[in-house]
Amino acid sequence: MALRREKTERLADEELMPLVGRKDPEAFEVLYDRHGGVAYSLAYRIVGDRAAAEEVTQEAFISVWRSGGRFDAARGSVRSWLLSVVRNRAIDFLRSRAGKAPKLNFNDDAALEARPAPERTEEEALRRETAGEVRGALGKLPGEQSKVIELAYFGGFSHSEIASILGLPMGTVKGRMRLGLEKIRGELAEELA
Amino acid sequence: MSSTDHTSWSEDLAAYMLGALDPSEAAGFERHLEGCDHCQAELRWLEPALHSLPEAAGRQQPSPRLRETLMAEVRADARRAHGGEPAKERRGFFSGWLLKPAAGLAVLALLVAGILGYEVGRDGGEGGGPTTIERQLDNGIAVTMVQDGNRGTLQLSNLPEVRSDKVLEAWVEREGEVEAVPALLVPDRNGQAETTIADMSGVATVMVTEEPRGGSETPTGEPIMSMEVPQ
Repeated sequence: MALRREKTERLADEELMPLVGRKDPEAFEVLYDRHGGVAYSLAYRIVGDRAAAEEVTQEAFISVWRSGGRFDAARGSVRSWLLSVVRNRAIDFLRSRAGKAPKLNFNDDAALEARPAPERTEEEALRRETAGEVRGALGKLPGEQSKVIELAYFGGFSHSEIASILGLPMGTVKGRMRLGLEKIRGELAEELA
Repeated sequence: MSSTDHTSWSEDLAAYMLGALDPSEAAGFERHLEGCDHCQAELRWLEPALHSLPEAAGRQQPSPRLRETLMAEVRADARRAHGGEPAKERRGFFSGWLLKPAAGLAVLALLVAGILGYEVGRDGGEGGGPTTIERQLDNGIAVTMVQDGNRGTLQLSNLPEVRSDKVLEAWVEREGEVEAVPALLVPDRNGQAETTIADMSGVATVMVTEEPRGGSETPTGEPIMSMEVPQ
């Protein structure tokens, strides 16, 4: 058993996926051990609550387990695909929680958190934007660019919502998103050079 | 395509990658992307930047309980898949559908008869533009299906409340086989939900079922909505 696990651990993610598609729990376990930490961290950054982040991470991995055969290597790495599943689940979680908000109490953080996206206040959006420590290439961007990227990627806000929150024209928001991603890409290219 | 057109689409690229376009804007951008080598190249160039964003989330440690719970479910699922456990409690109405498509579809037809309702509107399509079909189901759910080329948008309203341990999942039946629509349906506070079907070619029926959290590989719940798609 240990020998088989050792062999499985030597496989690349792309080699594990066909095994996951054939319902091999050991291959899936290796996948979780490799990416479960970053997946949970991403979920936590988006939903801001440990129990909810665990729920989202579990749902995302179960979805990957059940749809392992759908992974298309031509469209990117397993890690990117898996993290995009986690991000989508986390944003869905935020939106579904927003849909069940029974009341609005501006002094109640939980109720505020549960409000649907169009009704979220600027204060709440900015709290979410600054809640986590900004690291890596994103942290090197000018604040105006990192802010719009964080609100979109981690907050699940649309460009029109961000424009409304920040009081900016929609074209400016899209332009800052573009500039920000281009700068991150430039940083990555320099790191590899 | 004029250079002005391209520039306006190109401005949407980063917002699209960040998931910040509205569904209709994203659908329009994807249609442009399919035929634009320049945008495709830009998207490929920027993808590593997008994929680096999770690293900015900071490191958190999940509890060991998450791994235990997850692996217990996965191992139980694997035993069922490999025939080691009958798992009767999990076999739903549509179990075996993929194995016996003809029988499954006959059963589906009987079920659908109970929820189909009636068509309340239809427009477009003659000139190659979007086609919209509206149906009012007997269970109160209102369905709007917009088909634009190969792409479909399924909009549901008057949805019943979904239990916290359940989700709504859409399915398409194509050439006798049932496929899951990747994005789950998340009803908002008004009981409305929407999902996109990327490829409508050959789709004969669109259906929605209630499934366990995380979704299923094949439908296990009874359909709350089903609609035949005119060919």
